[in-house]
Amino acid sequence: MKPVVLDNNRIFRRVGVILALFLLTISIGVPLLLIFWQSVYPDGQWDWMAPIRTITGHHLSGVLLNSVWLGICVVAVTTLLALPLAWMMAKTRMGQHRWVDVILMIPFMTPPYIGSMGWILFMQKGGYLQQWVPSAEKWSELFFSFWGMVLIMSLHLFPFLYLLLRDALIRIGGNLEEAGSVHGAPAGYRFRRIILPLLLSSYGMGIMLVFVKTIAEFGTPATFGRRIGYYVMTSEIHKYISSWPIDFGKATSLASVLLSVCLVMWYMQSAMSRKFTYRLVGGKGQRSKRYSLRGGAGWLCGIYLAVLLILSVGIPYFSIIAASTMKLRGAGLSLDNVTLDHYRDLLSWGSVSMKAIGNSLGLSLAASTVAVVIGTGFALAIGKSSSFMQRVIDLFSLLPNTVPGIVMVVGLILFWNSPWMPVTLYNTYGMVVLTYVVLFLPYTVQYVKSSFTQIDGTLFQAGQVFGGKPLYILRRILVPLIIPGMLAGWMMTFTIATRELVGSLLILPPSMQTSATYIFAQFEQGQVSLGMAMAVVTVGMTVLMLLGIELLNSKRKWNAS
Amino acid sequence: MLGMKTRKKSAMLLLTAVMSISLFGCSTNSTAGNAGQSAGEGSTAAAAQPTETAGGKLVLYSAGPQKLADNIVSGFTAKTGIEVEMFQGTTGKILARMEAEKSNPVADVVILASLPSAQALKADGLTLPYPEAANADKLNKDWSDAEGNYFSSSASALGIVYNTKLVSTPPTSWAELATPAWKDAVNIPDPTLSGSALDFITGYLSVNGDQGWDLLDSYKANGVAMAGANQEALDPVITGAKSIVAAGVDYMAYSSKDKGEPLDIIYPEEGTVISPRPAAILKSSPNVENAKAFIDYLLSDEAQKLVADAYLIPGREDIEASNRANLKDIPQLKVDWNWMSEHGDETAARFSEIFK
Repeated sequence: MKPVVLDNNRIFRRVGVILALFLLTISIGVPLLLIFWQSVYPDGQWDWMAPIRTITGHHLSGVLLNSVWLGICVVAVTTLLALPLAWMMAKTRMGQHRWVDVILMIPFMTPPYIGSMGWILFMQKGGYLQQWVPSAEKWSELFFSFWGMVLIMSLHLFPFLYLLLRDALIRIGGNLEEAGSVHGAPAGYRFRRIILPLLLSSYGMGIMLVFVKTIAEFGTPATFGRRIGYYVMTSEIHKYISSWPIDFGKATSLASVLLSVCLVMWYMQSAMSRKFTYRLVGGKGQRSKRYSLRGGAGWLCGIYLAVLLILSVGIPYFSIIAASTMKLRGAGLSLDNVTLDHYRDLLSWGSVSMKAIGNSLGLSLAASTVAVVIGTGFALAIGKSSSFMQRVIDLFSLLPNTVPGIVMVVGLILFWNSPWMPVTLYNTYGMVVLTYVVLFLPYTVQYVKSSFTQIDGTLFQAGQVFGGKPLYILRRILVPLIIPGMLAGWMMTFTIATRELVGSLLILPPSMQTSATYIFAQFEQGQVSLGMAMAVVTVGMTVLMLLGIELLNSKRKWNAS
Repeated sequence: MLGMKTRKKSAMLLLTAVMSISLFGCSTNSTAGNAGQSAGEGSTAAAAQPTETAGGKLVLYSAGPQKLADNIVSGFTAKTGIEVEMFQGTTGKILARMEAEKSNPVADVVILASLPSAQALKADGLTLPYPEAANADKLNKDWSDAEGNYFSSSASALGIVYNTKLVSTPPTSWAELATPAWKDAVNIPDPTLSGSALDFITGYLSVNGDQGWDLLDSYKANGVAMAGANQEALDPVITGAKSIVAAGVDYMAYSSKDKGEPLDIIYPEEGTVISPRPAAILKSSPNVENAKAFIDYLLSDEAQKLVADAYLIPGREDIEASNRANLKDIPQLKVDWNWMSEHGDETAARFSEIFK
């Protein structure tokens, strides 16, 4: 493959690659190596068998299979949920309703353990559903099964796949399909032979991330999984890290197994994506075809969207809001049991909770901005991952997403709190920002990469032919084309950073709280209502903010062509 | 264009550096603002970062009820003018944090919710003895270290917590929970997450020997569910999804009950385990004098009253709580803390094996 970018700048390209590698090494590579070091060097002596012993010594194969099977099922269900939706939003008039995008981000903004709690409170014996519809007693507890867990996790993760697929579909544009249709291809054939192959690279990336997120997820297994007795790798790892006796060695051994599974997935995805990447954004003008939906099809799409919204937002948030407005949790759903006291406590000026909200917003803004800048740099350095070094960067920048957050965080602590470290970053605000950036870098990299790889190199050549200086080309061609990716990455990072829990629990300086740790602390302290109220407030604020951005963005009315 | 990219990158690096420095500055201010109401003493905020001057600050890692910890911290700050930075979490999280910070520790004092963990800290040589602590002689001897390595300033008892809407005649013995009347209606906290639940199980086994496992096996056969830490086990009982928590900590039940939730607690007549909550000064403490002052405060009349107000059993024998059952009213098992400390890990492992 030809490098897209100008050949005469090869040296600068080298420097960029080396700089990216250096940054990744100190922020991701070394911390992970330290973790590995801990697992083979326990108690001050070299014992390379230790990880292998751990793995064989625990009924690990079953737990590992549980994790993988869960991952596969969640990938299948998220595909079922996201693909039709992405098509509707990209190719039909429904796409004009941009607010749907923001609403659909809500499940992803909700801390997974809160979402699962919502479902549990709704479906359990004596839960909200049974209080509402007493006859549901016969079947609602059937929800507490493996498939219930798959559904909860899929409803949490599908927006992520949906965004990737929708953007890819928009980029495909209408011309290709029109060409197919002119040559007499029916809709099914067009989908199979035109859309599907073009979609494959984005889809591969999406499902890989969904798979990895599923098997690295901790919140749902810890709440719902424990309840149905479904144990996965992360619950085992977390056990070794957060309950006595603490054993980082064993935890890291298990983490390395998880890591290997993820690496296999990454390899498969990257092979597939190298084969199926096409240049879609070229110099020619493009317009996207939008079907207008009339009659039955319109109804069908509307109902599909409504059901999806009820399942992914309606039910969990009904439970969350109900729980947050209850005087007594033992008294159940009734009007005289409603109170807004928890919100008043929460939002009184100068309270711990307000400080926590402020901390969350500040940290997320800082982290997402830094992550976008660095991540875009990395994505450009990776380019089309044609050289070995570029593939190494690709892999490295994906690692934080494949390693369970808690492992990555322990690695960061080991590294930044080591006695020989000249800068004291640990226990400061900066450390939290660094952790968030490291944890969420993969999102920006993947989003920008996915925009960048589809830009045809001829665009840059054209710019050069017409005498554009590098800076001018950068400003007028490259940046506008990758801005949607950058923006998606920024929004994603911001959204997840506001709800990040596992890392924050370990890394926040003492007496500093974010909204996520505040919620968690309330749950630990038995103030479930207060915790739920905080979840509502945080998610509400994030939604408003994203709506604002969406509004600004739609004013620009600019398309990816 | 790529030259641009590298230049952009180095500029960005610089920006990151500047940003983290300025944020660092912010954090200094915000921690000073957080630490209690006495902002008057907080003017030394600049000195509150890792310098080793006494009179400045104290880093406390505390498990257990947050309200109590907040009250104790603000009382301590009001009295001594020492700023406290507190990390609040479960015993497991605190130990994990200490492990992660092993090479460069920052904590001065830890308050844990499990005695065996404190005994382990002592055995590993991580604690700093402070035998001269004021009022240490009034503490319950069984719960604190004679050499002054740890002081149990409070304790909770484990009982059968039940939902009063669903349970009219509560069970009166541990064995009764294995009867068909309570099939699938009982939660038990996970001993790997809840130090007090582990104390109960090891305590029960230390009295009953290997036969003690029969009880736990019969629990499993009767559908008793292992459900996370204490609060996670209790919450379904409050909402009515389950009827009973076996080995639930009593202070949570008392405080929920006072709020008006349909809860009550009973201590089985064959006796239960009291789970003390030890505080210890760490050997690596950078602010030893402040840490000692904190322990003194923790054992003072004032702090012990705060403990009693939080529905816990005060660690000092001369102070009684008015809002809960006192120590003398709770039937106790004759537990062997040394045995419990030695067999904690294997018991927790075997328990998880049974209940998984």
